[in-house]
Amino acid sequence: MEPKQSVTLSEIFRTFFYIGLTGFGGGMAIVALTERICVEQKKWIGRSEFMHGLAFGQILGPFSLNTSTFVGYYLRGIAGGVTAAVGFIFPSFCIISFLSWLYFKYHEVPQLQSALRGTNPVIIALIIVASVGMGKAKVRRPVDWIVALAAFASFSLFKVSALGVLVAALVWSAGRSWYLREHA
Amino acid sequence: MLKMAHLAWIFLKIGMIFFGGGYVLIPLLHRIMVDEYRWLTLKEFLDGVALSQLTPGPLAMLATFTGFKAGGLAGALVGTVFIYLPCTVLMLFISRYYAKFSSMEIIRGTLDGLLPAVVGLVAGAAYNLGKTSLVTPADFMILAAGFAVLQFTRISPMLVILGAGGMGMLL
Repeated sequence: MEPKQSVTLSEIFRTFFYIGLTGFGGGMAIVALTERICVEQKKWIGRSEFMHGLAFGQILGPFSLNTSTFVGYYLRGIAGGVTAAVGFIFPSFCIISFLSWLYFKYHEVPQLQSALRGTNPVIIALIIVASVGMGKAKVRRPVDWIVALAAFASFSLFKVSALGVLVAALVWSAGRSWYLREHA
Repeated sequence: MLKMAHLAWIFLKIGMIFFGGGYVLIPLLHRIMVDEYRWLTLKEFLDGVALSQLTPGPLAMLATFTGFKAGGLAGALVGTVFIYLPCTVLMLFISRYYAKFSSMEIIRGTLDGLLPAVVGLVAGAAYNLGKTSLVTPADFMILAAGFAVLQFTRISPMLVILGAGGMGMLL
């Protein structure tokens, strides 16, 4: 692999702390934000590599955290991965600890939900922008379109889990790579 | 100390079975935290789910909440660290093998073949979120405006989200 820029651990921490603090909307909204910051703005990691990390992250579960770990590792090895993961979780940890303390003291959930709800359309826009950017770069040939549409439909219309979609795509893609190699 | 070790062990176990992630976690956490160990009442559990969803972290932040109830701030820290430990360690392993093997042509080709499916999943996430939360014409207008701003300018998403929140309150 080509040598990476040297990014300090403290910059990794600050970046993922910021992502963890401002990534409202959870899950994919955070991934969209991470992509915007780490791929588009800072150019820390290529789009393909980032998307590979996202695919691994989705296979393993909490993919917003996993993608952070992946980018951190890509930049600075194990120390970078741990730094990114801790930086990402830390703001949520502080917010939840504080809210838990309030909750177990007063037994009320603060009415933030309604305030946050108004921001949903923008969060969706952020995710769409990320998918358009990824799609422009990675969905070009007709066969890509078929895979992308099949994944979209199985995930959102037929309720197949992300794990199921990725495993199916992996089997398909591995088979295709072998076939192309054997028949090249 | 024994209690903390016990807490750590339970959350580590939860962390190990939470692959696949997301909402499979809720019934599982419910069984462990409400039925088995009685750390939380049912109402506390449901309120905790709502609280966790307010913050950016994954749903498993419920671990922080439950840990807090079971053992204060130290319990919250133990719960959070140990629930995320398995997936983080595994992800570090994967990242390491990725760094080693991703230049091999067959691996690279297979992984690149996955990418259109990833695009489909990202778009699918937007669709799923939109289905439940895009209701009024104003929602669609904010969506369109947000898309234009985020696609064509470099304004920070944070500002755009805050701006939309403010607009949402005015509309």
